[in-house]
Amino acid sequence: MAPPLSRPLQAAPRPHRLRRGERSAVGLFVVPFFVLFTLATLVPVGYAVWMSLFEEESSGLGFGGTHRVFAGFGNYAHALTDSDFLRSFAHVAAYCAVYIPVMVGGALLIALLIDSAMARARRFFQIATFLPHAVPSVIASLIWLYLYTPGLSPITDLLGRLGAHVDFFGSGTVLLSVINISAWQWIGYNVIIFYAALQAIGRETLEAARIDGAHETRIAWSVKIPMIRPTVVLTLLFTGVGAIQLFDAPMLLQSRAITMGTSWTPTMFIYDAAFRGHDYGLAAAGALLLALVAGGLSFVVTKLGNRWKES
Amino acid sequence: MTRTPRPSRLARTAVTSSAVSLLLLTTACGGGGSDKAGGEGDGKPVTITYWSATTGAKETVDAFNKTHHDVKVKFSLVPSGPDGVTKLTNAVKAGNAPDVTTMDYSELPEFAGQGNLQDLSGAAGAFVKAKFPDNMQSLVNLGGKTWAVPFDVTPLELFYRKDLFKKFGVAVPTTWAEYRKAAEKIHKADPSVRITNFGGGDPALLAGLAWQAGAHWYSISGDAWKVDIDDAASRKVAAYWDGLLKDDLASKTPLWSKDETSERANGKVATVIGAAWSASGFPTNYPALKGKWGIAPLPTWDGRAATGMYGGTSYVVPKGSAHRDADVEFIKWVTTDPAAMRARLSSQKLPSSALPANRQMQAVAEKAYDGSYFPGQDVYKLAENAAATIVPGWTWGPVHQQVNSAQNATGADHTKSLTVGQATAEKSIEARGMNLAK
Repeated sequence: MAPPLSRPLQAAPRPHRLRRGERSAVGLFVVPFFVLFTLATLVPVGYAVWMSLFEEESSGLGFGGTHRVFAGFGNYAHALTDSDFLRSFAHVAAYCAVYIPVMVGGALLIALLIDSAMARARRFFQIATFLPHAVPSVIASLIWLYLYTPGLSPITDLLGRLGAHVDFFGSGTVLLSVINISAWQWIGYNVIIFYAALQAIGRETLEAARIDGAHETRIAWSVKIPMIRPTVVLTLLFTGVGAIQLFDAPMLLQSRAITMGTSWTPTMFIYDAAFRGHDYGLAAAGALLLALVAGGLSFVVTKLGNRWKES
Repeated sequence: MTRTPRPSRLARTAVTSSAVSLLLLTTACGGGGSDKAGGEGDGKPVTITYWSATTGAKETVDAFNKTHHDVKVKFSLVPSGPDGVTKLTNAVKAGNAPDVTTMDYSELPEFAGQGNLQDLSGAAGAFVKAKFPDNMQSLVNLGGKTWAVPFDVTPLELFYRKDLFKKFGVAVPTTWAEYRKAAEKIHKADPSVRITNFGGGDPALLAGLAWQAGAHWYSISGDAWKVDIDDAASRKVAAYWDGLLKDDLASKTPLWSKDETSERANGKVATVIGAAWSASGFPTNYPALKGKWGIAPLPTWDGRAATGMYGGTSYVVPKGSAHRDADVEFIKWVTTDPAAMRARLSSQKLPSSALPANRQMQAVAEKAYDGSYFPGQDVYKLAENAAATIVPGWTWGPVHQQVNSAQNATGADHTKSLTVGQATAEKSIEARGMNLAK
């Protein structure tokens, strides 16, 4: 989901004028990036835009095959009025409302605890929280699917024996089932990032706080967290963008929780439109709309985050 | 046949979600696979490519290649179910579809309508009429053209636990009213046992049961499609099953789920509604219950023998194949030549119980089938008798995949499955610019 993090740049020094030789060297170094960026991002996006403007039309009984017609923004209008598509965003919004606080707040808490723990336990907890992330997400979803399935799962078995009959696939609970899978998988990742940022805080700063009489909770709240704000913002951004692209876990879960339907998230809707509905135009329009929403949200999160970082 | 060796929906989805990107890559790189250069008539054999998920397909191809010198077949195993369909759609779009492939009857109209299939009327139209029973014709002849050659016929039958029926003193039901009575009696005697499980998970079964009751979900009237998913006959069926579920007489576990297997293996359900091909799944899935399952005709509504179909495979030639004569030669052989059936069954440890639609092939399959799991029953005779009672005239629709996934999402609510299916079908037909008869 997320590229490796680096600490944000300090205020950049004023750029000095480059000599001619330097300039061509810089050019040479950025060429590979732009070639790949063009091939792997710009061209496909351009193709998607092109595809989104057309639709396949049949006529009569349809046995004469299909022909392509220009649809203008018809596919976009179709997507925006499709109740499944709109509902899929509602699902993701509900997902984010629980998932993001858990993922950022929970990870921060765990990182702070590890940071203040004894040196030996640190490494153990670090690995223990990160380990689930090493499991590929499809496999993780499969494992959880088994753990949710009545008759097969030791968890439902145990709960059943205690008298609690939990239906993990019910329409009211399935959201939490999905969140649980994602959180199990990704929280360790966030913990590691927060922990690395916490480690970078100068020990003398913490010592100064301690000498001033601050206890650990106070240090965590008033010193540590403010000092790793940029990391928190970045994690917030990555977690949010990742949440919008939610696919694997719900896709696998809906094979058993069939009432979820095949377009529970926007990416599932797009997959369904392209590969079940054979409607590539609608899928392309949906994908671009999703990208737009993700881009817009990233912008807002970054803006708000920057304000918070500076406050 | 399509459904027999089908891996669980779960595993298929797992493969899909991890392999979509890979698939796109391979379809992009593997362009121009079918050798269009090897022309007919220059003495060299024509090589055609063949994709299938059916069991024994490879052995069939080997036998064909051994006995045929003008045509050589190159076989690739593909995923079964929706993923195979997706793979084929993408391949046709990318211009590297196989020359021959297998396809579920329910997918035919949609595939033909997308312009993805070649019209076989000229090459195989008369052949299909001559070699296959009347009640198969409406499945492969659509809009006055022949799009596919049938392979198997899939009549619904009732599989029941002989031992449980005996224990609870229940007779094998012949009507749906008796079936409900049996359900009540069994559930009363042991509340942990239900008559069957039907919590959604495969709208094709509801379709097959509606088919039996006389429904025609789709039909062609003139130049337009007519959709009658939510008709009176289907509603009667849906209400019946919703009633069984509501009264806790049937289990809400979805079809094809892991918990379904465990319920059936552990004696929590007394019957399974399956097709001819289902029989060969029993020894694999419930080995400990050997000799305990019996097979009976599907209960009827009015005492007159009737049944519907559930799944089933046909052979098609996708768009883009340049060797239609060679393709059809292979298809005719594989769907009707007894040697093809012998080859298909020779390799299998547990030969499939699929019932070929062609008479000569039926005889071969019957002989090769090992019925020891169902002692005292002639599995093939029962299936053949059931096949003769399939209500003729059923046609699948041109927007099947979307209807299927919309219906699937209604879960265990069968009445809703009908209304949602009806609405989705009408909406999708119109959205694609086809004519819809009201």
